[in-house]
Amino acid sequence: MSGYVVRRVGQAVVVMLGVSVIVFLLVHLVPGDPIRRSLGTRFDPHVYQLLYERAGFDQPLYRQYVTWLGNALQGDLGVSFRTGRPVRGMVLERLPATMSLAFAALFIGLVIALPAGIISAVRSGSRTDYSVSALSQVGVSIPDFWWAIMLILLFSLTLGWLPPSGYKSPLESPVGFLRHLTLPALSVGLISGSILTRFVRAAMLDALHRDYTRTARSKGLPERVVINRHVLRNALVPIVTVAGLQLGFLLGGVVVVEVIFAWPGLGRLAYDAVLRRDYPVLQGAVLLVALSFVVINLLVDLLYARLDPRIRYE
Amino acid sequence: MARRLLAVLTALLLVAAACNDDDGIDIGDPDDTEAEGVLIAAISGEPDRFDPHLTTAYPSFQVLENVYDTLVQPGDDLTMEEALATDWEVSDDNLTWTFTLREGVTWHNGRAFVADDVVYSYERIMDEEFGAANAFRFESIESVSAPDDGTVVIELTRPTPNLLANIGAFKGMAIVPEEIVEDGTIDTEPVGTGPFRFVEQRPDGEIVLERNPDYWGGDVALEGVRFRPIPDATVAMTNLERGEVHWTDSVPPQQISALEGRDDIVVESVSGGDYWYMAMNIEREPFGDVDFRRAVSFALDREAITEAALFEAATPNQTAIPEDSFFHFDYAPFEYDRDQAMELLEGTGIGDDFSMDLMVTNEFPETVTAAQVIADQLSEVGIDVQIRELDFAQWLDEQGEGNFDSFLLGWIGNIDPDDFYYAQHHSEGGFNFHGYSNPQVDELLDRARAETDDDTRKELYDEAVKMIVDEVSYLYLYNPDVVHAWVPEVSGYEVRADSAIRFENVSLSG
Repeated sequence: MSGYVVRRVGQAVVVMLGVSVIVFLLVHLVPGDPIRRSLGTRFDPHVYQLLYERAGFDQPLYRQYVTWLGNALQGDLGVSFRTGRPVRGMVLERLPATMSLAFAALFIGLVIALPAGIISAVRSGSRTDYSVSALSQVGVSIPDFWWAIMLILLFSLTLGWLPPSGYKSPLESPVGFLRHLTLPALSVGLISGSILTRFVRAAMLDALHRDYTRTARSKGLPERVVINRHVLRNALVPIVTVAGLQLGFLLGGVVVVEVIFAWPGLGRLAYDAVLRRDYPVLQGAVLLVALSFVVINLLVDLLYARLDPRIRYE
Repeated sequence: MARRLLAVLTALLLVAAACNDDDGIDIGDPDDTEAEGVLIAAISGEPDRFDPHLTTAYPSFQVLENVYDTLVQPGDDLTMEEALATDWEVSDDNLTWTFTLREGVTWHNGRAFVADDVVYSYERIMDEEFGAANAFRFESIESVSAPDDGTVVIELTRPTPNLLANIGAFKGMAIVPEEIVEDGTIDTEPVGTGPFRFVEQRPDGEIVLERNPDYWGGDVALEGVRFRPIPDATVAMTNLERGEVHWTDSVPPQQISALEGRDDIVVESVSGGDYWYMAMNIEREPFGDVDFRRAVSFALDREAITEAALFEAATPNQTAIPEDSFFHFDYAPFEYDRDQAMELLEGTGIGDDFSMDLMVTNEFPETVTAAQVIADQLSEVGIDVQIRELDFAQWLDEQGEGNFDSFLLGWIGNIDPDDFYYAQHHSEGGFNFHGYSNPQVDELLDRARAETDDDTRKELYDEAVKMIVDEVSYLYLYNPDVVHAWVPEVSGYEVRADSAIRFENVSLSG
């Protein structure tokens, strides 16, 4: 087990190095000069030159990368072009908001997907099954920003139950935090739920047709026990894999929803950084999301053993 | 196991929902209601930094407008008025300006404001190693000195009649105290002399200001202001309709007429000093041909473009400066005339399959809408327009490298005619990316820049502008209105033509 963990961590480090190269190159090769963008339409050429050199753009690209990586390894992600503040603080203070939104969305997704997928699979071919499939198709097809606006119009403007945008720290006001979290989490969670429903259904159907299920049934076990103890337990491994991937996707994929709901997360920070060509912030934010993704995947792999005792790590 | 998990999850959800009900009808956040007299303003973007000499972001200036002061500032009619300076004299040779400073002004940290603060701030902006965004505004300043605590003397290299606008048009030239630069807090905890003191920027991005009880401009009614960044205009309006915020500048133009009929929201607009225009790359053919540019100008129906881009929240204009300004020049030689356009085009020798690109940016969505209408109108005179939509960073690169046939953009926040015309139309102008060059215009702009008599100055500009318009250096389209909306509890707020947001005279009832 510990050998496996060491090997996986080693792989993660290689992945992160690869990500760092790709991120750095992509960010620097996208057209659009950050200095010109920050100065806007009218400026003194001397000021432009000064800022250009200060940002290190007069150096060759590989040297800029080495400098950046060297600093990043020591925990220094550079200074934002836009705010003049250290990037590390900027991304770390945004992480909790994004994490809470991603986890809440996944939570909502699972609350929808588990019962819907299970019922759909158990009653495969029934009217319920078709309705669930149709609804999940709708959920997958509708983009999150549309859900966002519709939810705001319904729950906020018409019914007046929830605030239309903003954020409250859970330490300051737990109730305020939940109230502000609900709509953005629903916007993303409805889509995650639709995607996950299809996976839960497929995984359940697969397990339902396995030999062990037939054996359990032929033993005369009640259907409830067959489903809970044999089918669901086996179906959980692929479901957890997809849920883990969903979480990783949510960490990086809630950008639009964060912008609409003025949710102060990493996505909104990265969005502003893209528009302003704020290289250090963009690099820092993407690196952090990639790191979270790698860590979640590692945890998911380790979780398999808990779910399925047959899986052993050598 | 799954069922138990589901039961727990459902219970949690129910608890969350129950918590919501506790608040009943009152949808405001608990900590908003206790802060009476605090105005909550929805702004469209998050301020990047608070150093007024370094930031170029409008959201930062929305906040800083209420925290800092300049030596002089634009009044309601945008003529320059006293602020930290109460009086000024110009020497006979127009090269020395002597400012008398206001007495009894203190910084938000309690220290007295003195002339050395002005000298320090201006030298910081002019410092070549510092990189201030507005350094170009100080190019005619030779030196700044403080003979005593209450006097500042500015020596110029050439007469600069628009010096007051250069040093006071907006808070980018604010006077800052040296101590917050030295201790490095200027970007996070600005200290000014303005009506509100900066308290904090919260982790959620909200900026909190409180009343400055020692404000030199008199009593401030509000206890404080909170600037809440809400990027999406629909969401900002929803916040306003629900009373979650008191004021916003994100008013979708298509909603203005619907909002005007409501009694729970106040919408006001003034015609602004900004202008939007199309420019053609004179260094490329056939755009170097004046007849071609004039043909395009005749082929465009400015009313229709304005209507499409901003509904009714703008005024078509064929020059840059809007009509309520002293320097407005009432000149509109281009009547929408397709036949005249066709006639002019025939002489230019362009073929039937002529195509040009029009570069716009999604940073300003109204340019994208306007471009569609322009493309449609030009197709009627046989010009095929390919719209190139870029993000602003890329757009600026292409413009800087002259890599375009034509583009649409606007100029914002100009006050003096020199701001409107020099950088854009002088051969040596810093923003003359489209390559316009006319020695007569150059000479007129140079003379007008140094002319101290306002009437003579206006005559010089009128003469230059006539040529600029006739030769279609810029194809001017319209001046957009500045539109803000607020709840009826807000009183004393005035929408300003320069888009500056000042809350010093505002009060909140109920």
